[in-house]
Amino acid sequence: MPDNQSHILDQNAGFGETEPPIKVAARDVCVAYDGKQALNHVSIDIPDRSVTAFIGPSGCGKSTFLRCLNRMNDTIEGARVTGSLKIDGAEVNDKSIDPVVLRASVGMVFQKPNPFPKSIYDNVAYGPRIHGLALSRNDLDGIVESSLKKAGLWEEVADRLNDPGTSLSGGQQQRLVIARAIAINPEVILMDEPCSALDPIATAKIEELIDELRENYCIIIVTHSMQQAARVSQRTAFFHMGTLVEFGRTEDIFTNPRDPRTQDYITGRFG
Amino acid sequence: MTDTSDTTSIRDAVSRQLPRRYRAELRFRAAGLAAVASAVGILVILLISILSQGLPAFTVNQLVLPVHLDRSVVDPEGDASEASLRRGAYSRVLQDAIRAEFPEVTARRDLRNLFGLYTPLNATRLMDDVLADPSLVGETYTFRMPIADDLDLYLKGRLVEDRTLATSGLLTISADGDALALNSSAPDFASLVEDAVATMRAEATALDARAERARNLAAELEGSDAEDALYEAERLSAQAQALREELAENDGRIELNRDLPTILVELSGVAVRLTALDANGRSASGEAMLGDAADISGAADWTLYVIDTPESRRRVSDQAIVWTRALEARGLVRTDFNTYLFSNADSREPELAGVKGALFGSILTMLIVICLSVPVGVFTAIYLEEYAPKNRLTDLIEVNINNLAAVPSIVFGLLGLAVFINAFGLPRSAPLVGGLVLSLMTLPTVIIASRAALKAVPQSIRQAALAVGASKTQSVFHHVLPLAAPGILTGSIIGLAQALGETAPLLMIGMVAFIADAPTLGLEGLTQPATVMPVQVFLWSDGAERAFEARTAAAILVLLALMIGFNALAIYLRRRFERRW
Amino acid sequence: MSVIAIVALMVIVMLAGGFYVGRARAIGAVNGNTVRLHSLPNYHGYYVAIWTGLPAFLLLAAYGIFGGQAVERLTFSELQREASALNARLEERLLSDAEYEEFRGAALQLRERVNAIGDDMQRLRSARGEERDPARLEQLQQEQREALNSATAAEEAAIGRRAELVAAVGSEAEAAGASMRQLAGFELVQAPREQRQLFLSDAMQIANGALSSRESAELNAAARIVARYQDRIRYFVAVLALVFAAGGLLRTRSQVIPDFRARNHVERLITGLLLLSSVLAILTTVGIVFSLLFESIRFFSTVPVSEFLFGLQWSPQIALRADQVGQSGAFGAVPLFAGTALITLIAMAVAVPIGLLSAIYLSEYAGPRFRATAKPVLEILAGIPTVVYGFFALLTVGPAIRGLFTWLGFDDVVTQSALSAGLVMGVMIIPFISSLSDDVINSVPQTLRDGSYAMGATRSETITRVVMPAALPGIVGAILLAVSRAVGETMIVVMAAGQGANLTANPLESVTTITVQIVMLLTGDQEFDSPKTLSAFALGLVLFVITLIMNVIALRVVQRYREKYD
Repeated sequence: MPDNQSHILDQNAGFGETEPPIKVAARDVCVAYDGKQALNHVSIDIPDRSVTAFIGPSGCGKSTFLRCLNRMNDTIEGARVTGSLKIDGAEVNDKSIDPVVLRASVGMVFQKPNPFPKSIYDNVAYGPRIHGLALSRNDLDGIVESSLKKAGLWEEVADRLNDPGTSLSGGQQQRLVIARAIAINPEVILMDEPCSALDPIATAKIEELIDELRENYCIIIVTHSMQQAARVSQRTAFFHMGTLVEFGRTEDIFTNPRDPRTQDYITGRFG
Repeated sequence: MTDTSDTTSIRDAVSRQLPRRYRAELRFRAAGLAAVASAVGILVILLISILSQGLPAFTVNQLVLPVHLDRSVVDPEGDASEASLRRGAYSRVLQDAIRAEFPEVTARRDLRNLFGLYTPLNATRLMDDVLADPSLVGETYTFRMPIADDLDLYLKGRLVEDRTLATSGLLTISADGDALALNSSAPDFASLVEDAVATMRAEATALDARAERARNLAAELEGSDAEDALYEAERLSAQAQALREELAENDGRIELNRDLPTILVELSGVAVRLTALDANGRSASGEAMLGDAADISGAADWTLYVIDTPESRRRVSDQAIVWTRALEARGLVRTDFNTYLFSNADSREPELAGVKGALFGSILTMLIVICLSVPVGVFTAIYLEEYAPKNRLTDLIEVNINNLAAVPSIVFGLLGLAVFINAFGLPRSAPLVGGLVLSLMTLPTVIIASRAALKAVPQSIRQAALAVGASKTQSVFHHVLPLAAPGILTGSIIGLAQALGETAPLLMIGMVAFIADAPTLGLEGLTQPATVMPVQVFLWSDGAERAFEARTAAAILVLLALMIGFNALAIYLRRRFERRW
Repeated sequence: MSVIAIVALMVIVMLAGGFYVGRARAIGAVNGNTVRLHSLPNYHGYYVAIWTGLPAFLLLAAYGIFGGQAVERLTFSELQREASALNARLEERLLSDAEYEEFRGAALQLRERVNAIGDDMQRLRSARGEERDPARLEQLQQEQREALNSATAAEEAAIGRRAELVAAVGSEAEAAGASMRQLAGFELVQAPREQRQLFLSDAMQIANGALSSRESAELNAAARIVARYQDRIRYFVAVLALVFAAGGLLRTRSQVIPDFRARNHVERLITGLLLLSSVLAILTTVGIVFSLLFESIRFFSTVPVSEFLFGLQWSPQIALRADQVGQSGAFGAVPLFAGTALITLIAMAVAVPIGLLSAIYLSEYAGPRFRATAKPVLEILAGIPTVVYGFFALLTVGPAIRGLFTWLGFDDVVTQSALSAGLVMGVMIIPFISSLSDDVINSVPQTLRDGSYAMGATRSETITRVVMPAALPGIVGAILLAVSRAVGETMIVVMAAGQGANLTANPLESVTTITVQIVMLLTGDQEFDSPKTLSAFALGLVLFVITLIMNVIALRVVQRYREKYD
């Protein structure tokens, strides 16, 4: 849609010299499940080393778009993705791109903490093990330790690495899952409402962690909470009924939305 | 950390591992597919093996003989009363009829073999025919009876390896003392000579090999064992030697014995069994098996019929085969659909054995199961799902039912034996007891299926009914039960199909006896001795006669047809009434 | 029977009448304004009908089940009374008969000696070290056999002498003009247990005008007594049933008033009926446990538990005479346990990989269409009666295995081998494992799979490293249930595994299992009190306990697992 196209040009113009480079570039991405359109012609440029929040009412397509970025839609029967989606200039949907390789560099954190039914150590070591990244037990120990440290969980679990991952509290589990994701050193981390199942204290810790991780990763977070979007993100994209309505600096979106739908949503008229 | 060199090295590392990982993926997937394929393959093999064994039993070869029902023989009193007709000598009628076909058979032993072409039980069938229609007395009546089971198998080509060879020469047969001398103008016997020589040579080689093995064994053993083995080796070697000498002697003339293939020379109305073959391939000695063969010259229209399975290794004699072929040639053998299989109960003679008794037994047993397990099972499910308070007793009942569902079926048989038969004194082998035992066994299945169906009815239906003032019972019986009925029905049918195919517990309560009369389809049939389809399969599978193998497979096919019917009904009902909430 | 049938018909008529009476009375009580009734008129009708019919039908049912036995008991006790004089005379004669007393005394003594030798042997068998003395053991065995022979001979002589005396007393009584009934009673009381049963059932047959196995004046006399009691009980029951029906009708009719809570009464009855149904499941278990326990205890009174559970020799034929060769009657069940374990192991080796991999393939890889065809095929495997599998094992798999291994150079491969039974049993269990594992795998939450895929795992990695560990408890439960099924499976092993109780781990030999022996022991002729027959119940008890333990564990594991992911 030409309308969306214009958004992007605008925003690019406004980012200025100090902005980090573009990491993810989407053009006219459409998704249909069993012929039912879930996402319409989304075009967006997401910068590296910052947090981008996707907001919007339920079923607006924000999670669908997120799942396009690591081709998780492949695992759903009947899903069809069209359009161009590039990470670092490489086409994600290209046949030559192996989803396995892609997913190794695009980590994902889910709504409900989903630690595997294994020990804390094995959870974090899962990625390096399947991809054959650690050459020795020492390597692996190092990766596990540094990932847990980066996820801010090391202090809490250092003495019980062999306990099952499911024995942790909800917030800890979510940080464990984040540690698991960063253990294979991804470039992009996708977070699908990572705090919706957590209490406020655990949420605060995760948000703090997201803020720290921003230094090194391109983070895209889907959230229902506008406050959260305002707190953690630098950029915000508002989705509505399968289309990208507005995308810009977070403070702009929240203080001075250009689209009336955005306005209605952030002021709570629907959603 | 995320400097480009690091991430590219990780990507490289991941890509390097990829081929290995995808090979593993492929292997795993192939293993899964192989597992499914093998399960399906086994099913196919099972069905094919049973079909191929069972289908021949659905046809039967019958002797169609004109029998003369002489009044003095079948009506000894002469008053055509039932009592008199029952005393008739029907075996003699049949014997006369078959003797009329082979008047040359006179020796007592030969006659006994001749009467072995059919089972004497057919006399009773003939009597039944006469009793049903007394006007037959004094008439000549065309009577059909199944040929003896082994000959039936022979006619179906399942008993022996045989072949027919065409001939080119003119055949002359002349008497040569007791024996017959056969001469052909062409070397028609040559290939047979070669075959026989080859067979004997192979036999000698095999004997040598066995002797060699026995010698090796002797070297390993000690004491008397070694001596025994050595003796055995010597004996085998001697046998091999004797065979070789026999081949060398008599200018290559070969004596045919019971351990070699049978060769019959057949021309119209005459059959000669060869007793020796000359090396020239043109002349042979033989003995007459059928008709007058003593003086034939220059016959062109003759064939060689070879039965490769030696007479010593089969259950039917050459003579019986010759007679059967003669009857077949005269058009007196007919292949019919095997109605005996369905109209008769069990019999010791395979050709007359049928599944009617077992079928009736199954019907009676299943009637009891339906009348008991379905209502009780559904009631229990309703109680547990709709009424039961959560307490120790209902917990106990629940655990109990789940465990009962996994108790081996044979244990239910033991229960039936100890309680129903020994304690309550109910009759053994009766469908009543079988039904009771199977009901108890099926009950957990019905309960579990019914509970699942009741559970699937949404709570809102119950609440809606209660909200308009219906009592608990009304809400259950007017609203919940009708909605759950299809599920309950499907589950019950599956449970009943299981009971229909169950064997083990019925063996415990004596439903495994040989029962020659079908039980009556009625209340009194419930206490008559009976057996059921799966037990009939078990009984026949144990039968000594080979023909029972085919019967067993045929009974299995009938049983499977019943089960398929049951299951198809369940699937139909599920499709027809299935409701998703 | 006809009287009872007429009464049953009458009760049905009264029941229907009761319904209309109740209904009409309820409507009449409010002059047709049924809104004023507490319950709908039909409920009043049901109420009256139930109380009219139920007690009467229960009575008739009880008569149907226990009537015959009651007649038998009454007849027996009457005949016994009649024969008491003759019996007393016989007792006297027995006591005074020196020959009989001598035989009996000798038999008792010899029996004691057999037992004493048996104790010695037991001691010797369990002896260790220096005290072991095989030669002495053999000698003792020899002695015991001789003693047993003499004991049996003495007992037989005693029995024979007794029979002579019985005959003598009988003919004397007959000559003295004793009544047929007395003679019948005497014959009955003096007959051995199983012949008493036959005598009574013959008398019943004659009384009912049916064919009996024999006829005699005594039997006819007994039959007359049977007929008398039959008539009495029949008329008594008939009258009582009618009284019940009429009484119920009259009593409940008067209860019908507008405020009467008929519906609540009816519903309470229905609830009672439902509860009764569910108690039947418990009764079944109680019945199983008690019948197995009761008979097993009787068995263990002749064969010690330790010998049964740990003995290595199984040949249950109890010697009829002690000199029968090889008929020692050994009840060591270890070979059966080993055979069961071997076949179960083979079956599991087939069923677990194929079943599990099929379930994985169908739930994780197969497209919907493939799944829709392959799953019913597996279900067909599950629906085939086990006797069909037995036939398949016996006639197709067994010979094929024998052919294969003979070709491979093995000698003496039997058709009825543990291998063929195990393989076919494995096939039977495939669908069981695959459908249970399918459920289990499907209940592993999708988020775990997503988590793994998002890490870049391939499908097989996700399955083997995430799904399987998560599903493990459920799969273990499924396998346990399958094992319990294999242990209790009967027909395949009866037809395909053979009957020789070999203690071997060689799958090409023929072994026997617990279930096979139960079938062997309880089919064909059986005297009910012999240890041979009772041992089947002991085996049944073992089977029940083993499967019960496995089922309880498995069901609990599966339930826990379900709760975890629900």
